Amino acid sequence: MLAKYVARRFLASLIVVLGVTAITLALMKTTSGSYVPGIDLNPALRPEDIARLRTQLGLDEPPQVWYATWLWNVIHGDFGRSMIDGSRVTDHIFERLPNTLELTATAIVIGVLVAVPLGVIGALRRGSKADHGLTVVSVAGFAVPQFWMGLMLILIFSVTLEQHGLPWLPSSGAFSAFQGGDLLDRVQHLILPATVLSFFYTSTWSRFIRSSMLEVLSQDYIRTARAKGMSERRVVYLHGLRNALIPLITLIGLELPGLVSGGLVVEVVFGWPGIGKLAFERALQYDYTTVMGVTFFATLLVIAGNLLADLLYGVLDPRIRYG
Amino acid sequence: MTQPLLEVSDLHTVFSTKEGMVKAVDGVSFELHAGETLGIVGESGCGKSVTALSIMRLQRPGRIVGGKVMFKGQDLTRVSEYEMREVRGKEIAMIFQDPMTSLNPVYRVGWQVGEPTRLHGGWDAKKALSSAVTMLARVGIPSAAARAKDYPHQFSGGMRQRAMIAMGLTTTPEVLIADEPTTALDVTIQAQILDLLRDVNREFGTATILITHNLGVVAGMCQRLIVMYAGKIVEAGPTTDVFANPKHPYTWSLLRSIPRLDAERHEPLKPIEGLPPNLVDLPAGCSFHPRCVFKVDRCSRDTPALLQVGDTQRSACWVTQSGTELKGA
Amino acid sequence: MIGPSRVAELEMPAAGIETGAARPAQSYWNESWERLRGNRLGVAAGLLIVVLALVAVMAPLLSAVLTHAQPQTIDLDSTFARPGAGGHLLGADELGRDTLTRLIWGARVSLGVAFLTVAMSLTVGTAVGMMAGYYGGWLDDVLMRFVDMVLAIPAIFLFILMSILIRPNAITLAAIVASVGWGSVARLVRGEVLSVKQRDFILATRSIGARDSRLMLRHLLPNVLPVLIVAASLGVGQIILVEAALDFLGLGIQPPTPSWGNMLTNAQSYFFRSGSLVAFPGITIFITVLASNIFGNAVRDAFDPRLKS
Repeated sequence: MLAKYVARRFLASLIVVLGVTAITLALMKTTSGSYVPGIDLNPALRPEDIARLRTQLGLDEPPQVWYATWLWNVIHGDFGRSMIDGSRVTDHIFERLPNTLELTATAIVIGVLVAVPLGVIGALRRGSKADHGLTVVSVAGFAVPQFWMGLMLILIFSVTLEQHGLPWLPSSGAFSAFQGGDLLDRVQHLILPATVLSFFYTSTWSRFIRSSMLEVLSQDYIRTARAKGMSERRVVYLHGLRNALIPLITLIGLELPGLVSGGLVVEVVFGWPGIGKLAFERALQYDYTTVMGVTFFATLLVIAGNLLADLLYGVLDPRIRYG
Repeated sequence: MTQPLLEVSDLHTVFSTKEGMVKAVDGVSFELHAGETLGIVGESGCGKSVTALSIMRLQRPGRIVGGKVMFKGQDLTRVSEYEMREVRGKEIAMIFQDPMTSLNPVYRVGWQVGEPTRLHGGWDAKKALSSAVTMLARVGIPSAAARAKDYPHQFSGGMRQRAMIAMGLTTTPEVLIADEPTTALDVTIQAQILDLLRDVNREFGTATILITHNLGVVAGMCQRLIVMYAGKIVEAGPTTDVFANPKHPYTWSLLRSIPRLDAERHEPLKPIEGLPPNLVDLPAGCSFHPRCVFKVDRCSRDTPALLQVGDTQRSACWVTQSGTELKGA
Repeated sequence: MIGPSRVAELEMPAAGIETGAARPAQSYWNESWERLRGNRLGVAAGLLIVVLALVAVMAPLLSAVLTHAQPQTIDLDSTFARPGAGGHLLGADELGRDTLTRLIWGARVSLGVAFLTVAMSLTVGTAVGMMAGYYGGWLDDVLMRFVDMVLAIPAIFLFILMSILIRPNAITLAAIVASVGWGSVARLVRGEVLSVKQRDFILATRSIGARDSRLMLRHLLPNVLPVLIVAASLGVGQIILVEAALDFLGLGIQPPTPSWGNMLTNAQSYFFRSGSLVAFPGITIFITVLASNIFGNAVRDAFDPRLKS
């Protein structure tokens, strides 16, 4: 049953992946034509060398042939080589991915740890000052541009503190930290970008938990639980929260693609050497093998995230049946 | 007469709404004796469920603003929340109207049925589960050991209500409050659940308060019954006497609105005219007078108290208190 | 998201063949409007948006009579002027350009692109969603799978790629953002159409031989309208954020044309000289998006009370 469900979802996803990569390639092709970065404008290369390189890279072939070749190689685990520096695309991705994971996982964990208690408090003390405060913060969280929040944090915690001779937090330069920096250094670099990202998650999720919790607490089974004579804490956390958390799982699953795209702007602002920043820089340089690779990967993450959320939902909510 | 097990006196429970204060329970008094089954009857919104919830102090967001609920020498409206928890689910158990939504969907049935013994008896999970299985079998769940591992959605409505009853009984409480236990069920299942409740009452000696809007249910189950209207008790007495000779026009109308097999002559069924009262803006005098076919001038001015009328019954009605019989109309 | 059709349904006379029955009854619109007017915070937010839109429209006038500066006029005497100094109410940037003037002109870009994007997303999304929902069958499959794909691509990549391709101005930038936005609108509309389609009056209208186009425009569209209104008002704030981010990354409106986003790109380089250059554009974006969101929520609550949180 479950295997069949996963298989069907997988097949449907495959079509989506094919479509997405085809669209991406079409866009890249129309964007750059047959321009090859680092070669076309290089005066040191003779025209015949350029022509030879183009053939080697397969750029003279029609897009559909190029796409078919690319796909064939991807199936065999080969994402090709970067058009800029000739290194393997997979190397780039796997070099950058842990950094992105470090950032987003931290942000998601902080987000959940802050959002769940806040949401529960908001629901339990509905209409209180704490609840109103929570509402204000979360409405604000939806309206703050992430990149601007990043800039403001840099302005306050890096620039101003440094100007006043106070201990300050690094605003960028995490590259050095990743090359042999100690743990403390890494954490220091992590604080500001993780704050920006988790603030956004917190404002979304705390609202969500609040309304989810309010709905759950009005259910009959909560009254049953109270009638059994258990503490209010047990009612809220054992009988209520578990039900209220189930829909949050979906939300977090949908956040998985944010590993790549959601964090992109934050990565750029803080110079965080993650996969989003990689994609951004390489797209600007028409490095389409790299961009294709990252896009492919990101799309896989979207699909995996959705599927994972669905499956987790089934684990947590016994009512769900896969058929 | 022996000391009552549970004694509710002059209970008042109110709700604040946008439109104003609602007196959901307005001076309700009654007694429940060990082992008996008491029926509380009335239309939805008459305060019967809130009365039951107030006994358990689960009436939130309503507030108990007056009266006493004496149980085993203590006033439940005054005890601490902690002491109240020791009463709930241990000495007074409650089962609810809709079995489809009254069980927590994410926990296994056996776990939930065994929860009261873990909470109150300090039993470990294994012992609690085995007692849950025994009780599930007792209330008629076939292959109870296997079904205890199921989730509520895998149970039918009737089975869930059986599970709810089992959950209430695991701690062998002295009082079981059943709030419309059959309303959400099919007719055939209703009869089975009522049979079960009757068996439970007989076998465990659990005193039962049966709340229902269905007089037919009361007839076969309860020795005594209370009729509520707009937050007040309008009539109380032994079931057979009330059925044979109602002393309040509301009871009289209710009885005329249900088909009876034992009626001496077949009178046409008559629905009660008019709408249930608006609890925020109750009519002056007797709340029932706008719908009453027997009303006299006094009914719209003064509120009648619940007084002895006849040998066994009490009624809150100026007409019957003055000795008039309710007939015809 | 579920549409408000059920609300409309309550207000509708049972089944009728004439157009009167095919759309949410007048009372629905009146009541929604009354509910919206009753939400004071929502009305205030809506008014703020109107004021900002007026500011954007009157930018040339305002910069002539109010700030006495042009957005792209370089004045090297007042570089990094502090707020209030030398007639620069909110200061000036690294080239001495007046910040307030640039913010006023930037409003044209931000609001203009946002409204245009919403309009494009709604038009395309409604057309696609309606066709998919109305005709069903293979057309539905093809269209909705395409929507799935569009929504599965991490949007920011699509924006980056297309921005490089197009080198956008305000109109093409709107088209770029709308190229993703229409997908969710299409899903929404399709769902609505599917539920409306089965109702008696549509079947009745069909049975008297009304043409498809007439059915869609005169009978389905009015029923989908509440969903569209809600989607539109909730979308504006998000689009302003996306647009600002693209400008900030250098992918949107290019300097020297001022936009709220690209003003921040520059400001980033001068942290140590002037914090206010970072603060003001961000605050402007924040307030605008906040007002849009509050207004959007008010509209949702008014037009679809079932969704009220």
